[in-house]
Amino acid sequence: MRIDPNMVPSLLAELQQSQVQLNTALQQVSTGLRVNQPSDDPTAAAAMVQNTIETGDLDQYTQNVSTSLSTVQTASSVLSSVVTSLTSAVSAGTEGANGTNNASDLQALANQVQGILTSVVSAANTSVSGSYLFGGTSTATPYTADPASPTGYTYNGNNDTNSVAIGDQTSVQVNLPGSQIFSAAGNNVIGSLSSLVTALKGGNSADIETATTAVDSALNFVGQQQVFYGNAETQLNSQETFLQQDKVTLSTQASTLVGVNESTAATELSQAETDNSAALAAVAKVLPNSLLNYLSPPS
Amino acid sequence: MGGLSTALLIGVGGLDAAQGALDATSNNIANVNTPGYTREVAQFSEVPENDSNSQITGGGVTLDGLMSIRDELLNMQINQQTSLQNAADTESSSLQQLQTNFTSTGTDIASALTAFSSSLVQLSGNSSSSAAQQGVLSAGQNLAAAFNSTANGLTGAQATANEQVPDTVSQINSLTQQIAQLNGQLAQVPAAENGGTTKDQLDQAVQQLAALTNISITQTNNGETITTGSGTPLVIGNQSFSLQTATGPGGLNEVLDSNGNNITSTISSGTLGGSLNIANQVIPGFLTQLNTLASQFATAFNAAQAAGTDSNGNPGAAFFTGTANLNSAAADIDVGLTSTSQIAISSDGAGGGNGNVANLSAVLTSPLPSGESPENSYASLVFNVGAAASNASTQSTAIGDSLTQLNTLQGSVSAVNIDEETANLLRFQTAYEAATRIVSTVQVLNNATLNMGSGSSF
Repeated sequence: MRIDPNMVPSLLAELQQSQVQLNTALQQVSTGLRVNQPSDDPTAAAAMVQNTIETGDLDQYTQNVSTSLSTVQTASSVLSSVVTSLTSAVSAGTEGANGTNNASDLQALANQVQGILTSVVSAANTSVSGSYLFGGTSTATPYTADPASPTGYTYNGNNDTNSVAIGDQTSVQVNLPGSQIFSAAGNNVIGSLSSLVTALKGGNSADIETATTAVDSALNFVGQQQVFYGNAETQLNSQETFLQQDKVTLSTQASTLVGVNESTAATELSQAETDNSAALAAVAKVLPNSLLNYLSPPS
Repeated sequence: MGGLSTALLIGVGGLDAAQGALDATSNNIANVNTPGYTREVAQFSEVPENDSNSQITGGGVTLDGLMSIRDELLNMQINQQTSLQNAADTESSSLQQLQTNFTSTGTDIASALTAFSSSLVQLSGNSSSSAAQQGVLSAGQNLAAAFNSTANGLTGAQATANEQVPDTVSQINSLTQQIAQLNGQLAQVPAAENGGTTKDQLDQAVQQLAALTNISITQTNNGETITTGSGTPLVIGNQSFSLQTATGPGGLNEVLDSNGNNITSTISSGTLGGSLNIANQVIPGFLTQLNTLASQFATAFNAAQAAGTDSNGNPGAAFFTGTANLNSAAADIDVGLTSTSQIAISSDGAGGGNGNVANLSAVLTSPLPSGESPENSYASLVFNVGAAASNASTQSTAIGDSLTQLNTLQGSVSAVNIDEETANLLRFQTAYEAATRIVSTVQVLNNATLNMGSGSSF
C-alpha cells in the first residue's frame, strides 16, 4: 500500500501536541495547581467555590472566637471583682449588725458600703471598645443615678442579648443584660447594697442584719451568673480547637481538589520534555532525506 | 504495411507518450506543496495491432491523458470532520476566553461572595464597629460589581460570536459562487483526466466551505450539487444560491436561505454553526443562570434586610437594587444603601443589637427559590462553564486526531511523493532517450535505403 509521502503535517501535529503537554506540565509545576481554570476539572472548580467561601468564613469565625473570648473573659473578671466587693460589703454589714458600734462607726461602715455601691455600679457600666458589657443590646449607659428610684439608680439598658457567629449554624451568646445580674427581681445587687447603706445609717441592728442577708444572697446570685460566662468561655475554647481542625480539613480538601501531586507533576514534566525532544529529533531527521540525496547530479 | 515508416510512427508515439509522462511528473514535482493538488499519473495504452500481409506488428503507444488520483469518499469524510472540527474550535476558543470570568482572580463572583460572607461573619462579632459595617457595604458593592463584570464578559463574548455570523455568511456566499463557476468548467474537462486540476480547485473550495458550515454533497452530471445539512440548496450545477443574514430577537443574527426562510437552527457545525451555537444557545444559557442567581439572591437578601432594623431605627431598606428585569439582573445589580447606618444589623431596634446579622448571613447558605443556595448555585454555573469549555476542547482534539488520520489516508492516495517522482523522472527520461534512438535509427536506415544501389555504398 502507498503511504502518505507528506510527513510534515503529522510530524507538526505531534510536535504541537508534545508542546501542549509540556506547557501543561510546566504550568502545573510552576503554579502548584492542577486546576488553573474551570475547564481543567469542572467538578473540582465548582467544589472550590464552596471551599473558598468556607475557608474565608472560617478565618473570620476564628477572629470572632478570639474577640468573644476577650469580651467574655473581661465580663467574667468584672463579675469576680463585684463578688469581692460584695464580700467586703457583707463583712461590713455583719460588723454593723453586732450591736457594739457607735454612730460614727456605723457612719464609717455606711460610707464604706456606699463606696462599694459606687464601684459595683461602675463595674456594671464597664464598656469594651464602645459597647457596654451589661447593657443588653442598648447603647445607653446601663446604670445612672436616679433620686426617684428606691435604689438610687435606674437601668437604662434592655433585656436582649447578642449572639456572635462562631461557625456555620453555631453561635455563642456573649452577654447577659445588667437587669439579669445587677438589678434582678429578688436578688437586686444594687438595691440590696443601697438598703444596707440606708440600714447602716439608720443604726437598727435588725434592719442591718436583714439588709446584710439580702446582700449575701445577691452575692451568691452574682456567683451563679458568673457560671454563664464560664460556660461561654468553655464553648469558645472548644470551638477554637474545632475551627483549627476544620481549617486543616478544608485546606486538605482544597489541595486534593485543585492541588498537584508534586512527584506526579515532576514526572509528567520530564516525560513531556522527553516527548518534545523526541518529536523535534524526528522532524530534524526525517525532513532532509530523499532519493535526490543519493543521485548524482545530471551531467 | 509494415516498414520503416511504421517504426518511425511507433518511435514518435513513444516520444509523445514519454514527453506526456515527463510533463505529469514535472507538474507533480512543481506542485508538491500546493494545497488541494492531487498527483497526476500519465495513462498509456497500446495502439491496436497492424495486420498487413499476414504480418502482425504492434502499433506503439498512445497517451490517453494525465489522470488525477483521488478518493471521493475520503474527501467527503474529510469535509464532514472539517465541519465538526471548526465548530468545536470556534466554541472552544470562545469558551476558553469566557471562562476567565469564572477563574479565581480576586474579582470574580466566588471571591466576592467569599468576602461578602466573611464580612457578615465579622459584623456578627463586631456589630457596632464602623469598620466592620463599612466592610459589609464595600463587600456588597464588590459583589454587585463582580456580577456586573461577569455578565458583561458573557454578553461581550456573545456579541463577538454574533458579529462573526455575517462575515462567515459572506465567505460562504463567495465560496458557493466560486464552486458554481468551477462546476461549469468541470463539464469541459475530458473524462480521462478524472476532473484534473479543475476538480482539485473545486475540492479545495468545497473543503473551505465545509469548514464554514455543514454541507451535503451529491455528485451529478452537472458537477457537484451542494446543499446545507437541512437540504437548502447552495450550488446546483453552475448556479449558486446566496444565504442572507437578518437581525432577530435580542439583536442576534439569523441566517436566511435565498428565499428568505430562517434556517438558523439547521446550521449545526462549521465556524458558522459554532458561532451560532455560542451566541444563541450556550451563552444565553449561562446568562439565564447568572441572572436568576442575581435576582433571587438580591430578593432574598433584601427580605432578610427588611426583617431587621437599621441604626436609624427604620426597617432595613433594599440592600441590592436593579434586579427588577430578570433578563439583565446580573448586569444591572447595584447596592442601594448609601450609608453603613442603613444596614439592618439589629432585630430589636436597639443600637447595639446584632440579632439580624445571622439572618443576613443565612441568605448565603439557604436555598433560593431555584432550590440551591447562592453559593451552590454559583458553583453549578462554574461547573457548567468549565464542562462546556472542557467538552469543546476535548471534542476538538478528538476530531483533530481523526482528521489527521483521514488526511494521512488522503495523502497516501493523492499526495506527491518526491522519491516516486524522481524515480519516474529517470524512468521516463530513459524511455524518451530510447524513443529518440528509434527515430535516429530509422533515419540511418532510411538513408541507407535511399543510397542503396549508388556506387559509393559498395
